[in-house]
Formats: sequence, C-alpha cells, structure tokens
Amino acid sequence: MATRHWLMALAAGIGMGGALGASPRALAADDGGTLTISDAQFLWTCGFSPYNSSSNFLAVGPVYETLMFVNTLQSAKTTPWLATDYSWSADKKVLTFTMRHGVKFTDGTDLTPSDVVFTFNMLKKYPALDLNTIWSQLTSVAQSGDDKVVFTFKIPAVPYFYYVADQVGIVPEHIWSKVKDPTTFVDATPIGTGPYTISRCTPQDVSYTRNPNYWQPGLPKIAHIEYPAFTTNPPANQVLATGQAQWGGQFIPNIKTEYMSKDKDNHYWYPPVVNVAMFINQTNPILKDVAVRKALVYALDKKRIAMIGEYGYEPPANQAGIVTPTFESWLDKKQLAEAGYTYDPKKAIAILEQAGYKRGDDGMFSTADGKPLAFTIINQSAYTDWVAALQVAAQQLKAVGIKLTISNLAGTDYNAKLFNGQYDLAYAYEAGGPTPYYEFRQWLYSPGSAPIGQAATTNWERYSNKDTDALIDNYAESTDPATQQAIVTKLQKVLLDDVPLIPITEQVDWDQYSTKQFVGWPTPQDPYAQPLAGYTFPDWGVIVLHLHEK
Amino acid sequence: MRYILRRLGFFIVTLWAAMTVNFFLPRLMPGNPAMAMMARFHGRLSGQALNAMEAAFGINTHQSLIAQYFAYLGNSVTGQFGRSLTFFPQSVSHVVLEALPWTLGLVGVTTIIAFILGTLIGMIGAWTRGGWFDSLLPPLFIILSAFPYFWIGLVAILIFSISLGWLPTGFGYTNGQPITLTWHFIWDVIQHAILPATTIVITSIGGWILTMRNNMIMVLNEDYVRMARAKGLSPSRIMFDYAGRNAILPNFSGFGMSLGFVVSGAILVEYVFSYPGVGYMMLQAVLNEDFPLMQTLFLFITLAVLIAILIVDAVTVLLDPRTRRTA
Repeated sequence: MATRHWLMALAAGIGMGGALGASPRALAADDGGTLTISDAQFLWTCGFSPYNSSSNFLAVGPVYETLMFVNTLQSAKTTPWLATDYSWSADKKVLTFTMRHGVKFTDGTDLTPSDVVFTFNMLKKYPALDLNTIWSQLTSVAQSGDDKVVFTFKIPAVPYFYYVADQVGIVPEHIWSKVKDPTTFVDATPIGTGPYTISRCTPQDVSYTRNPNYWQPGLPKIAHIEYPAFTTNPPANQVLATGQAQWGGQFIPNIKTEYMSKDKDNHYWYPPVVNVAMFINQTNPILKDVAVRKALVYALDKKRIAMIGEYGYEPPANQAGIVTPTFESWLDKKQLAEAGYTYDPKKAIAILEQAGYKRGDDGMFSTADGKPLAFTIINQSAYTDWVAALQVAAQQLKAVGIKLTISNLAGTDYNAKLFNGQYDLAYAYEAGGPTPYYEFRQWLYSPGSAPIGQAATTNWERYSNKDTDALIDNYAESTDPATQQAIVTKLQKVLLDDVPLIPITEQVDWDQYSTKQFVGWPTPQDPYAQPLAGYTFPDWGVIVLHLHEK
Repeated sequence: MRYILRRLGFFIVTLWAAMTVNFFLPRLMPGNPAMAMMARFHGRLSGQALNAMEAAFGINTHQSLIAQYFAYLGNSVTGQFGRSLTFFPQSVSHVVLEALPWTLGLVGVTTIIAFILGTLIGMIGAWTRGGWFDSLLPPLFIILSAFPYFWIGLVAILIFSISLGWLPTGFGYTNGQPITLTWHFIWDVIQHAILPATTIVITSIGGWILTMRNNMIMVLNEDYVRMARAKGLSPSRIMFDYAGRNAILPNFSGFGMSLGFVVSGAILVEYVFSYPGVGYMMLQAVLNEDFPLMQTLFLFITLAVLIAILIVDAVTVLLDPRTRRTA
C-alpha cells in the first residue's frame, strides 16, 4: 500500500511539473491538483469525436466548446461562451451569433466564424453526425461580416437555440476539412478551444491536462483530471468513499452510511431534471378510454413508490409534468390543485364503475364485453430501482381491481418495444431540456411520433392532438417569457385533462462531491450547471472551471 | 500423416460451421445496434439521435442477409473485421488488440499455473492416497471450485483491498501513468494481477486435481506399475514416468481446450476487477449487439480452440504410441 501511494504521488508530481513548466502565467495558491471522477461506466473508446454518442460527453465541455452555455437548472439561463452575443429576427427564423475575439485552438490557430460555419455545414453533409437533427429545421448557416454567423431556419425555431448553441461542439476547419469521413473519424487527439486537452487515454482511464493558453484568464485552476472507467458500481463507490475520487455520479444505496459518514467534507446533491413516467399506449383499445387513464392516476400512490423504489432520493412527480423544484416557476399550482389528482383508490373505483366497467367477484374489473382490465408494463431489467417501484405500483393497482404485469426486459429489447410502440404501458423517461417545454414536446408532439411498428424517436405513446401540436408550434415563435409561460401552462392542462402519460417520480442527477481538496461545486443555492459528473455536457466542462483547491 | 490430414479437414468444416452460426445467431436478437446504443446511454441521448446513429452504423442499408453473409465470410478470411459499434468508430482489430495482451497475460498464466499445480496435487494425492496431504488439499480445492466465482472475487476484494489495504481493488494498473516497459510499471501490473490471478487459480485448480487424481488411481492399479515396483525402481520414477505420464493424457487434452479458451478471457473476473480484457469486451459486444466485434471475438475463440485441439492431437501422438498405430 505504501508503494502504491508513492507511485501515485510520483505520477501526480511528474504531471504537475510538466504543467508548471508549460504554463506562462503566475500561479495562485489555489492553483493545481488532480481531480478524479468516479462514475460506473464501461471501458473507454479513446475517441473524442464531439458528434459520436459514445464519446461526445467526454469531449464537449472540457475539450470542444459550444457557442453558448444554456443552464437547465436555471430555466435556460444563457451564458456567452465562444459567441459573445446572439439575436433573433422578428419572425424568429434568423438567429445571429457574434463571435468572440482572441479564442485559439490548442494548436495555436485562431477560432474564426468560418470554423463555426464549417462545423454546422459538416452536420448537414453527414446526417450521422447531426445527433439532434438540427438540419431538419435549418436552411442555411453563413458568415456575415467579420465576426457574425447567421443561422436561417425554415420555420420559427426558438427552441432550437438550445441544440445549436449548447449541444454542438465547434471544431477547427483546418483539421476536420482534411478528414475523409468524419462519421468514422476517431479523433484520438482532439484539438479544441476548451480548458483541457487529452494528455493520455487507455481503455481504463482518460487523463486531461489543462490548456495553458485558455481564453478565460486565470482558468482552469485544476491542473489534471483523471476519468477512470469502472465497469461496475461497487469499486466506483469504493474509491469515492475512500477519497481517491472527489466527484461521483452514480447511485449509492444508503448514502448516509456509505458515503456521508466517511468524511465530514463529503456532500451530495440530487437535483431532479426529468420525469420518470408511465407512458400509456394511446392505441390500446381499453387505454383509449380517458376514464381508465384517470383511474390509474388516482390509484397510484406516487409518494410510496418513490420511497420504496427510489429510497426517497427521487421525489414523487406531479400530474402537471413539471419537475419541481427545478422548474417550480413554470408550475401552475392553482390549475394542478383544481384538477384534484391525489392518491384516492376509492375515487379510482368510482370512476371505473361510472364509465361502465364491471367489478367481478375477485375484485378485478373488466369491460362491458368481458375483457379484463389487465395491462403489461415494459421496464428496464437493469434498473433495480424501477423494478422495485413497479412492484409497488402493481400492488396499488391490484387494490382497485386493475391487473398490472411487469415485463422486465434487457435494454435493447426494451428500447425496441418502446420505440416501436409494442406495449400497453411503458416505464421510461425522455431526454428533457433546459425548460419544461422540451419534455412536453418530446411527449406530445405528433409529428415526432411514428405509426405502431415503426421506431418513433419521441412521443412513444402515440399521442395525437392538433390543438396540442399547434401550442407546441406557437412556442417556437416567441422569446417572450410571459407567452412561453402561458403556453407551458396550457400544455400542463393537456397532461391533466387527457392523461397521455402519468409522471411517477423525478429522475435526478446523481452528484457526490468532496470539499476536502476542491471547492466551488454547484449547490442548490448556486445551481450554475448540471452536476452529474462527466455525464451532462457541456455542463461538466463549466463545473471544472469553477473548481479550485481550498 | 493421414490422421493429421483428416484432422485438418475436420478443422476447416468446424470453422465454417462456427462462422455461420456466429453470423446468424446474433442477428436473431431483438432491436438493432443503434437501439442498443440508446439503451446504453439512456436519458442522455434525445430520441432524434436514433436516426443519426442508424446512419452512422449503416443500418437499414437494404442489403440482403445472404449478401451480408458472403461479405462477412470474405472479410473474415481477409482479416477485415470492420468497425466496432460499441466502441465506435474504433476498428475491431484496434479494440481487440488493446484488450488481448491483458487477457493473455492474466488468464494464460493462471491457466498454466492452475494446470501444473492441479496436476501435481492430483498426482501426489493419488500416490499418497489416504494420507494427510490427500485428505486435505484435494477436498479443499474441489469445494472452492464449487463456489460462485464473483462471490470469491468480491470477498477477496473486501478482505485484501478494502479491509487490509494490501492490494488494489481493480484495473490492470494504476491510472494516470503511461504504459511503458519499465520495472516500475511491470511491478504495478503484477500487483494489480495478484488478486484476480489468485482467485482464478484457487477456483479452477479443483477440476484438474479431480481428473488427475482419478486417472492416477486407475493407472496405479495397472500391471506395469506393479511390475515397476517389483523391479525396485525409485518411487519418484514410478510416479512421474510410469503412472504420471499415462494418467496425464485426458488432463492434457482438457488443458489444450482451456488454452484455446484463454482468448475468450474470464468474463466474471474481468467484470469484478474492472480488468481491461477480452471477456469484458465480449460482454459489452453482446449487450450492445455489436455484430462486428462479436463476430471477430467468436472467430478468434473458435480458431484458438481448434488450433489448440490440433496441437493437442499432435502431441498426443507423440506421448501415446497407441494413437500412432491407428493412424
């Protein structure tokens, strides 16, 4: 053990020496150190293409940067990044960014507007790189003047600001234009504008070293980041508990004894970001009846499900579909209270009886023509918390005479059934976005769906309503907060009246951190970025810029 | 010679059959690699990424399965294994070559150690049948081999890494240092290999002991052994040259097979210890419906096992005169 400490000290010492020699700036007292991230994952690919789903989260943020930073935890509060400013045209079809001067790639070349134009046109040329299908809405991206980039959309496209400004890493034209096929480009030594470069990568570990010429003066303060690849949770939890890693992003059962009690400087913060919901297949002949869907809402005790299934770490959700406290200001509390959804099994039974369903001698309901109210819910077998949560739900539904069978499937099988709509009920969550609107759009927008048997990328429950589609389209035409709020209030009403799905719990960002060596972490009082270690991009690149030694 | 030729023919037919199964079986799984990728990154990818990934992976190219099959056969023969979908866009050869040395080192060495130790213990146990050695070691290891591997692995981590702090909890080497051929690094690798290696050896040794001991007991009853004793040969010469040489034959073919299977790694070991080897890679390949990686790994395993069997057959001919006569 003594040898191992010595080895690590030596390794850290060598690395630090290198950074000291390279850095042209004076070092402050809080400068330096190696941050280790612990997060159950898989072996690394050692590719860092920002357009590849298996590597973009490693690169976008610390290595490649985006035009703006949009913070989900502060209702899409926007911070200028590679661009200093942006503006929409009056019809919300033309978006203009003003680029920052003096930003350099780590090979010493300047970042220019033509790099931005090149980046986006590359996504057009290779749809495989366009992970958010931005080009389904764009018509052109072009430079204007010395420092402006102009995006022209087919239709008003306010929500697409997030995908354009916050989700696309800008790459250097002089390197990527020489790449024969960017789709299969590994990008082992990425050249970006970000605060870090990749100094070494093996399947077991990625090492980041800071960029001494970073454009934000005096930053970053942390000299090195190590991101080891754990294949299972227990060893990842172990290095976190022993302080070998300072930042964790995984589920720890019983965090008080397993983590908090190990050191007074250990902390955790689990901010909710999206709803975990029961998606109701709208083409199911029985579930088509809104009375049955409403009965399901009354029959489910979300508090208890959250307590037993999620150890209370994930709060119960509300039927309005607004994640609280993260998006609290968007929630129309009066409207939610008027809808009157509470846990009330008697009311569930009353609704079913009123709608003409018959309760048999065994207490189970069936339709007028004798079909039992029995549904199968598809679930991810790997998520043990979900399995436990659904067992509680099944008992609660049985109490009101509805039979729920849980079908725990392996990831791929589950996704295939979910996307193709081959289920009665599905336990799932959407990707969400920086305001509640994104989740509503993913849930309800019918052009985002597909017929049963074909893969729908969003709207898995196949909900279709022209008025709702119009609301979602209207939101895209306005940047006015009051108008946006009014539309989101109406979308909440859709969820309350039509019950296309039932939010059960709120998915959180797992975030454990130690303030023993490093401080400056995001907290509920200062939620400056999503804290899920190495997971949410570009947020974690923003966080490492805020951290420094005590 | 005819014997060897017949074996070679058998080799080629088996290889073709294995490659064919290898191609069709994974394609019976539900979903496609893009959906598997969505599952792996659930919640981090928006649904639209599905279209982009299907384009990147070349899914829905409308090439018929039969055409794909022949393309696959051709590519396998010429050594073009394509790109891994799990570790996209790295090439399969790159991914496999990165993992293979770790597995060969860990599993290869432990397989040889377990075989040698197990065979020796079995031989000596049978020779001193009923003695303290025979009543202690073989039963102990046979019981240990019946334990689930991951349990032994986790208990070993708990005791030696977490409680005592003597050895690292996992990985092939300490993170954050370059992979170089220095004593410093080699010592680090050895330290990381001690726990996984020991647990593999103590759980796999029982099988070798059991077969060796049983064979040895049978051989010891043979007339030629009695003859050797009557001639007054030294006990060690009887044990190794007379009884041992004959008793080892079945164990030896088993050893050949195990050597072949070394290439497949030790999935549970690598999983428990986060060891960067082939076994873990294979698990990922299957979970993610990574057809190119899966096909290549299975092809390697099949090849390694078949070659090992071929070698064992040849060596058996050398060791056992009777096989020469049938040929």
